[in-house]
Amino acid sequence: MLAEIGLSALAIAFALAVYAAAASALGGRSQLARWQLSGRNAALLTFPSLLLAVAMLVIALMTEQYQLSYVYSVTDPQTPALYRFTALWGSQRGSLLFWSLLMSLFTTAAIALNWRAERRLMPYAIATMMAALAFFLGLSLFLENPFERWWLLPAAAPGAQEVSSALIPPLAVAPSEAALRAGAQGLNPLLRHFGMVIHPPMLYLGFVGFTIPFAFALAALAAGELSSGWIKATRRWSLIAWIFLSLGLILGGRWAYDVLGWGGYWGWDPVENAAFLPWLVGTAFIHSAMIQEKRGMLKLWNMLLVIAAFSAVMFGTFATRSGVIESVHSFARSEVGFPMLAFWAVMTLVALALLLWRWGRGELRDERQFANLLSRESLFVLNNVVFIALFIAIFWGSFGLPIVSELIFDREVTIGAETFEFFVVPLFIAMYVLMGVAPLSAWGATSLPRLGAALRPPLLLTALSVLALALSGTSLLTATAGYGVVLFAAFVALCEIYRGAKARRRLLDESWPRALRALFRRNQRRYGGYIVHLGVTVIGIGVIGSTVFQTEVQHTLERGASVAVRDYRLRYDDFIRARAVDGRMMNISVVTLSRDGREIARMRPRIDDYEQMPMTIAGAHSTLENDFYVLLIGGDRERAVFRIYINPLVNLVWWGGILLIIGTIIAVYPKVTPASRQRKREADE
Amino acid sequence: MLVAFVALAISLGLGRAQEYRASDTDVIRVAERMYCPVCENIPLDECQTTACLEWKDEIAAQLAAGRAPQEVINSFVARFGDHVVGVPQDPLIRALTFVLPLLATLMALGVGLRAFRQFAGSKKLRLNAEATGADELRDASYRQRLEQDLRAMR
Repeated sequence: MLAEIGLSALAIAFALAVYAAAASALGGRSQLARWQLSGRNAALLTFPSLLLAVAMLVIALMTEQYQLSYVYSVTDPQTPALYRFTALWGSQRGSLLFWSLLMSLFTTAAIALNWRAERRLMPYAIATMMAALAFFLGLSLFLENPFERWWLLPAAAPGAQEVSSALIPPLAVAPSEAALRAGAQGLNPLLRHFGMVIHPPMLYLGFVGFTIPFAFALAALAAGELSSGWIKATRRWSLIAWIFLSLGLILGGRWAYDVLGWGGYWGWDPVENAAFLPWLVGTAFIHSAMIQEKRGMLKLWNMLLVIAAFSAVMFGTFATRSGVIESVHSFARSEVGFPMLAFWAVMTLVALALLLWRWGRGELRDERQFANLLSRESLFVLNNVVFIALFIAIFWGSFGLPIVSELIFDREVTIGAETFEFFVVPLFIAMYVLMGVAPLSAWGATSLPRLGAALRPPLLLTALSVLALALSGTSLLTATAGYGVVLFAAFVALCEIYRGAKARRRLLDESWPRALRALFRRNQRRYGGYIVHLGVTVIGIGVIGSTVFQTEVQHTLERGASVAVRDYRLRYDDFIRARAVDGRMMNISVVTLSRDGREIARMRPRIDDYEQMPMTIAGAHSTLENDFYVLLIGGDRERAVFRIYINPLVNLVWWGGILLIIGTIIAVYPKVTPASRQRKREADE
Repeated sequence: MLVAFVALAISLGLGRAQEYRASDTDVIRVAERMYCPVCENIPLDECQTTACLEWKDEIAAQLAAGRAPQEVINSFVARFGDHVVGVPQDPLIRALTFVLPLLATLMALGVGLRAFRQFAGSKKLRLNAEATGADELRDASYRQRLEQDLRAMR
């Protein structure tokens, strides 16, 4: 019954999405209110329908309905309850349905928040969102149906054939419950981690979130409402999508650090890069949108960035789900590959065609022009160039070159970290320099002496810090220079916050906490942005420390023996074999860590042996100074092989991530002012 | 006696060479620059498949035989192809890897600078044009098209 209800709800949601897309497009074109309202209502109904479909799948996962082939493929009787729930996004079919639910949720929220204020744009925006939803629901319904069940064909015949089908085939019977339970495959071991409970939903929310700015951009192009109104309507949505994408990336890094067992958090893997690409374009858009809002400039460029962000999301989804990353040949084997590629191409081409049409009519003409190379808008444009250069380099290395090389030269290539670092290190340096200089320049025009005077305090603080680093024994010139650039951007943000609070204290005689609170409340966007910049600099310090100064060694130790690594000593004490409640065998080593002759931690690095996949779970002793990270590579009770990493400042990567999220929340948090209350009252009336 | 001394020295040296065993850390230093031949995009030092364990043993053996790390890597590339390392070895593909993104970035920068110059230039023209009403003429053609569109909609 669960499968029938789920399948029906999915089919209804699909029909509603198709209808909503058509009715809204018609309503937008004809300006007939009844079509607009009908389209809106159908769009709103997709959410409860999808919620019902997802609820059915979750109940099936939790109550072990193994006749559903999805439940069979991602859980088994030993799977704990938490991972039964997270199995919803543990494989392609469930994650596509979950993606659709989030898409529908975002659409509902966009309708609730923007229907009155953006009445001209909303029908076209709903049509775009519903077209995207209908596409993903179509994939779920026709190609990757999560409600397919196992059937035996033909009934009662010897050697009956097992098939998976959403509808009941003629003469088919259900396989025995006991046989299904015994054969259930269980969740991919790599996904049995707390990080995987949160990481995929955050990433999906980020991906889906970028559909909303794209929908508004397309609506603005279709309706010809090309003032800065659409930017104002989408700025908050872009920031919300950006927060989730940032959270998804940070959590993904943490998951890799804890689970993949290689002592790092970012490996320039194509799947990671596929999620990083929309983040780069989104970051560029968040900056350039400000120029359009404040100065009425970069209208064409902002449209291009929004289209590129959505296109990057769709391409990333296609690349990670089609199998094209593994090989161009596996792309043909994936059922969703061609439809996704086609949808990506159609949406991108439609958007670009509309953009060119409006541009040709002169409707995207900027209201002002660049006057000064040192103005804030010029520096923001340079910042955009850096982000787009990063995008090009990472896209080319991850997808372009491997595909071109295999298709044209018939040679498989691997693009590793050293190749990516060749491009991204200088570009990130440029990004940090601009992050420091741009906030100090003024809109319109800035003179060099004025900018120089503003730069003096942060530059002085940076010089003092670099000197202190050099005196404290940081001998590596590249690292010291890197720290200098990152610290410069941090000092600019701190100096700006200090300057603002000091001015308030002087003028209004406020205490420091009161002045700071008022400063952030009065200009959330600006000062929230500085906190984001501070977060990015803290991440930068963590990245430099944990990559440039990382120690990596491997040693074989007899039981009771120890090894010195920098100023630590690691002793191998014991080895235990045990079976966990979910059936996996665990080879656990017990080690003791000492520093300066004092025992500081007991760790249990282990290898979890799933039937086909061993997983290396690190033992780690974490401090703000560094992580002592140890992996058990193999061995037995008498002798074991350990790989040891000392990752200086790695925890700053996570702390910087938290700061970045806090800053974005400050920037995006709705500000209630008497004027906004009045506007809301007027809109309600 | 000299011959005997040299022979003794050589034999002692050979004995030491035979005893030399590459440390696990030496093997990692080489393996972290290579990639698993079976799994996509997994560095060799992290991978625990049978093929990777055998490759790491071979790296240890080659290092023990006195080969330099780069020579060891080259020997694997010669036998198994470019995809065992993170930087393409074929000169054409290598050039494509590094030159194309640089060119694209420089082009983007060039287009940006040109646009900026045009904007800056047109600002001067605009200041002159304000006196002659050239802007009004340009807006007039746009207004005319807009009015045509509105008439068509009616």
